[in-house]
Amino acid sequence: MVNTLQEQSTDIYTEYVRDWKEKGGKVLGYACIATPVEVIEAAGILPYRIKAFGHPDTELGDAYLARFNCRFCRSCLQLGLDGTYDFLDGLLETNGCDHLRGMFENWQHVIKHDFFHYLKVPHFVRDDSLDYFEEELALMCQAICEHFEVDINEQKLSQAIATYDDIQAKLKKLYELRERSDPAVSGAEVMRIICTGSSMRGEDFNALLDKILAEKAAAKLPASRARMILLGSATDEIDLVADMESQGAFIATDALCFGSRSFWSKSGESTEPVRLLAEKYLSNLFCPRMFAEYDKRREFILQTAERANVDGAVIVYNKFCDLHGVEAVSLRMDLEKNGIPVLVLEKDYGSKADSGRIKTRVQAFLERIGG
Amino acid sequence: MPATQLREYEGLINRVSEIFTIADKLPYNMTDEEVEGVLHILPGDLEKTLRAFLSPRVRNNSVQFLKMIKAWLTGAREGQQHGKKVFLVPFNFPVEALYCFENAWPVTSEVLSTMGVAALEGQGERYWDYAMGLGLPDFACSANMIEVGSALTSIDFVPDAVISDCFGSCDINSKTHEFLARYMDIPLIFLEKPVDDTERGINQYYRYFNTMVEEIEEFLGERLDEQRMRDVIGLANQASELFWELWDLHKFSPCPVPNIFSLFTYGTRFVAWGTERAVEIMQSMVDTARERLENGSYPSEREMVRSMWSYTSYYFDMAGLFNWMEENGITHLGDGLNLVFPRIVDTTSRETMLKGLAEIARNMPMTRQMGASSMSVQWLDDIMYASKELNADCVIYCGHHSCKQTWSGASIVRSELMKRAKIPTLFLQGDSWIRRMTPMSVLQETINEFVNTIVKKRRTPAGTVG
Repeated sequence: MVNTLQEQSTDIYTEYVRDWKEKGGKVLGYACIATPVEVIEAAGILPYRIKAFGHPDTELGDAYLARFNCRFCRSCLQLGLDGTYDFLDGLLETNGCDHLRGMFENWQHVIKHDFFHYLKVPHFVRDDSLDYFEEELALMCQAICEHFEVDINEQKLSQAIATYDDIQAKLKKLYELRERSDPAVSGAEVMRIICTGSSMRGEDFNALLDKILAEKAAAKLPASRARMILLGSATDEIDLVADMESQGAFIATDALCFGSRSFWSKSGESTEPVRLLAEKYLSNLFCPRMFAEYDKRREFILQTAERANVDGAVIVYNKFCDLHGVEAVSLRMDLEKNGIPVLVLEKDYGSKADSGRIKTRVQAFLERIGG
Repeated sequence: MPATQLREYEGLINRVSEIFTIADKLPYNMTDEEVEGVLHILPGDLEKTLRAFLSPRVRNNSVQFLKMIKAWLTGAREGQQHGKKVFLVPFNFPVEALYCFENAWPVTSEVLSTMGVAALEGQGERYWDYAMGLGLPDFACSANMIEVGSALTSIDFVPDAVISDCFGSCDINSKTHEFLARYMDIPLIFLEKPVDDTERGINQYYRYFNTMVEEIEEFLGERLDEQRMRDVIGLANQASELFWELWDLHKFSPCPVPNIFSLFTYGTRFVAWGTERAVEIMQSMVDTARERLENGSYPSEREMVRSMWSYTSYYFDMAGLFNWMEENGITHLGDGLNLVFPRIVDTTSRETMLKGLAEIARNMPMTRQMGASSMSVQWLDDIMYASKELNADCVIYCGHHSCKQTWSGASIVRSELMKRAKIPTLFLQGDSWIRRMTPMSVLQETINEFVNTIVKKRRTPAGTVG
């Protein structure tokens, strides 16, 4: 199953999505883990998380964004403008960061999707911001219902929430297989699975996870030189993780938004589904875009590192990523204070020219920590 | 390369304060000979700045501006010694909100960086290097990182708290201030601008603003006094009226407002609005511009081009930019930081004043444009309005490296400006506060090329675009 995924996982327009479209299904693109996909799911639409899989060309994206903008966003914009993402029936913008806002704004400026909705996500958690976010989610439901002429009721939303609760539980099991002392699944494989799932309907991803968990239960990976936690900004570069692992740096766990940050801590108490989603997504958004919450993020990372018994941490972020660029300094200091050696890798997204330098730095880091 | 080493007295605020103490002694109405005498004994970087400031056409206004900066810095240092709490704020925070408190004093991060660049030998580079040495990214904003780098050394003046109202409008600014507060272990008070210009979004902003005021009150142990608010806001209202007078004077051609008044206007806005000094300096600029209008004064033979700068200008060589431009017939009508659109606050009650302050905060530069629902739409509207009102022939985008949010919308603004108003835009690239990135000579050359090949040819004698 994972081998099959390996062949398809870096396709943007996957066979799965093609089948869905051929059956008349609608697809909504979103980019940030702050987007409650349950709402899209409840509308009977396929939620598709926009990715670029390390796509190196950005000439169209560069005509709108600048070289001072994150290349992940420029690569995604490139694929939006060159037609790769023409299968999308609309876009859902979130104010994840300044670069992401720019990507959406330029994309919509050029392509003019019939459906374009902006979900405004607060930058901190307080009762008043939670109320505001709940209203935002209600507006998002309304916009989807009106445009796609569908009905999103409490029952459908609750069903979708239950589906994603199952996915969360299964992904945690997958992380157990990865984090144990004799790991059954690699970091690259897990990223591949999460990327694949982010282009699928929840019920299908759920079924896929069942198969993967059954297949992997008895698997055992060869020994590595050192166990790492991988932290940082949005990266869907499976090759980057595979490259690190091929050098013996086993990515035993992560705190990435194409990784554990996208699902691990989502929880809420409300019995009302829209409020519950607001709680799940805002209160558990482990991203440096959130303010005055650094301590919470640090604890999440330290707990994750401890659980996976790592020998070191690699903080990876794309050049010009303001949020993670600044956060990396605090994290490095705090992880080192807690006895975890750190490698900070600022890199250019999707750049093959950068891969040699990254390999050298990873090798040197492994030598430094005695791996 | 030797490591950056800073001695005890070398913090930015401390050094700048000392220099401005000397600058404060400059008399009004200096003769050219006296100015040359002063410039002769100054270190190179300060000499360059003062040469721009003390050019005859702006000399007295500059002296007044320097005295205002000195009073502001002294107010922070002495105020803290006498029990006032000093808040480090970004430029888009309306300082009059802090002057409304008896026991609060604002120091504005970007103005401190600018003053460091303007006054210190070696400009702000040593502090930037220190911040880089900690691992902070080289694509961070020098406007903050120079001052923050100095604060991080722990040898400089330390504020008592940080207020950040940049999230929603600038990631790097807000993260930098959050980092500083945590690193220095001082309280962080924040105000989010929801990227939402609907009535719901605006009301939410008012709620956040009121919560922030309550947090400041709690931190200071002082409740806002209505009469003090009225006094401070009354002064801010007077300065705002003068702002609009100066704005209107920009409409004449040749422009009677010297280029560097753009900087003085927002420098005053960002540190002194709500004080008598702000009213005085705004009045003096209006008076100078009126006098120049009456005399038909312009620094070059004729005004060739009127330029609107869409975001920041460059501050590492004031003479090289502001003076050079006007001496070559290029008027600087203002930049994005002048787009403060100040309004008159109703001083009837505490509630009307709080609402007025919140409205002003919501319309501060950057908050208003980049914190809008769309980063490009409000910005475009403002630039187009200013360009048309002030009869600009062209727009120049400085391309400050770190402004990722403006870089994100700059292409749309450029193409729409051309499409809707037939106004061409020049994109420059450089760092507004660090001379290492793009030298002033290269910027001048690019501006010259643009003006001579694109703009001048389009200009009709009446001063309108052909």
